[in-house]
Amino acid sequence: MKPRLSSLLDYYYESMYPSLHALEGKRLAILSTLKKAALLLVTLGTVLFFVLSRTNVFTSLHAFLLSVMSGFLIFMFIYRHERAGYGSLFKDLVIEKIIHFVDPSLIYTKMDSIDERTYRQSELFMEAYDRFSGKDLVCGEIEGVKIRFCDLHVEKKVRTKNGKEEWSDIFSGLFFVADFNKTFHSKVVVLPDVAERNLGIVGTWLQGVNPSRGALIKLDHVAFEKLFVVYGDDPIESRYILSHALMERIVDFHHKIDKPLYLSFVDSKLFLALHYTKPLFEPILARSLLEFESIKAYCELLVMITNIVTEFKLNEKLWSKR
Amino acid sequence: METFLVVAGLIFLLVVFMYNTLISKKNQVDTIYAGLDAVLKKRHDLLPNLVATVQEYMVHERITLEKITELRTKAATHSLGSRETIALEKQLSSMLGTLMVAVENYPMLKANENFLNLQATLSEVEEQISAARRAYNQSVNDYNNAIEMFPTNFMAGLMHLERKEVFSIPEHERSNVDVKNLFQK
Repeated sequence: MKPRLSSLLDYYYESMYPSLHALEGKRLAILSTLKKAALLLVTLGTVLFFVLSRTNVFTSLHAFLLSVMSGFLIFMFIYRHERAGYGSLFKDLVIEKIIHFVDPSLIYTKMDSIDERTYRQSELFMEAYDRFSGKDLVCGEIEGVKIRFCDLHVEKKVRTKNGKEEWSDIFSGLFFVADFNKTFHSKVVVLPDVAERNLGIVGTWLQGVNPSRGALIKLDHVAFEKLFVVYGDDPIESRYILSHALMERIVDFHHKIDKPLYLSFVDSKLFLALHYTKPLFEPILARSLLEFESIKAYCELLVMITNIVTEFKLNEKLWSKR
Repeated sequence: METFLVVAGLIFLLVVFMYNTLISKKNQVDTIYAGLDAVLKKRHDLLPNLVATVQEYMVHERITLEKITELRTKAATHSLGSRETIALEKQLSSMLGTLMVAVENYPMLKANENFLNLQATLSEVEEQISAARRAYNQSVNDYNNAIEMFPTNFMAGLMHLERKEVFSIPEHERSNVDVKNLFQK
């Protein structure tokens, strides 16, 4: 279940390359449209600036800002409009094909996401949210383990110092759910250890008095304890879930990925959230599709996600789960 | 006078806090010990079946099987303290490890379905015991720290609290009881 780079290269040239030619044509056409639009908007913006600055209503600075802002907004509208169709085609011709290359049994739905109930069930992020959106849902079985993952974006409204409302991220990135290889009844949440890292002993004390998270579980794995803080309902079952071997694998995974990692174990399921600052499966207009390197990055990401099953050995089920 | 009352009040609060901390840590050890005891009992319940299944194949391991039965009987019938239980369970883990290594010499036994079921269940119970032992050791460590650290050590002395022993298993014995790996070879 680890597709080799050489086989991806073959797959890219044999199965994807012909259809990518048409898509590459569309990409170049969009780039051309955007360049023309930019040129036109710069010209119109300059004209607007001169017209506005000659009136007595606006100062030069205001006229400049107004021209730039108008030009930028119109350009963004055109960019989004052009990109939308291309993004959808890109997902059909690139992302879906890579997913089927990684595992033909996986089902991809570009407009769907993990539901809110599953998100809440994970108890990874306890903050109340105002906007929940996601896309690129992948479902299926890897080595007999049911998995689901998507690109998720959860936000809340916050009021700034000026009294304005704006959106703030609660979570943005990969949200992954899989059946766990042990049966358990309690709940364990593993979060990045921010408080202890920044505040030392005071941070540890603060973690211990977090009433919304349950009891603090101190674990006997030094590297794991440095990276994560663990809350659980039951001290014995928490350690049954987080065996030494699993903690070792989580630490290795974290070092390899090097992104904020959140894990929870609820109702015999593993929930994993990896924070990303940009969308996972969106195309980059500036990169050519006919270069293998631009496709390789998506494949590596998808292989990394599907390999979570084997990395955490979720496929090695204990007796009671078989 | 007011200063005296404030100081006396603070000292009283400190004493109450220390007393409650020590009691909560002691109770935590007892609670987790009860959990550990429950999973150890699970292992005890498996042993008669395991011995009955393997004894007709493992004719050269009679001494080990007798020792396992003896230890199991002792653990089930005598009301032992935590220290004695820990020592006895260490011995039992060691004996089971020896037995599971010896299974390698009996291919017929490795093909017995009943034995495979027992082995899989035992493997799972061993995982639970390992988890319970780690939880117990952590609670004992917290408790021992509390009764030895300043200023709670004074209060612990007045309460006649004593150090508790952790449930350690030597490295070689720990690997011996990893029956799951043994049978995956």
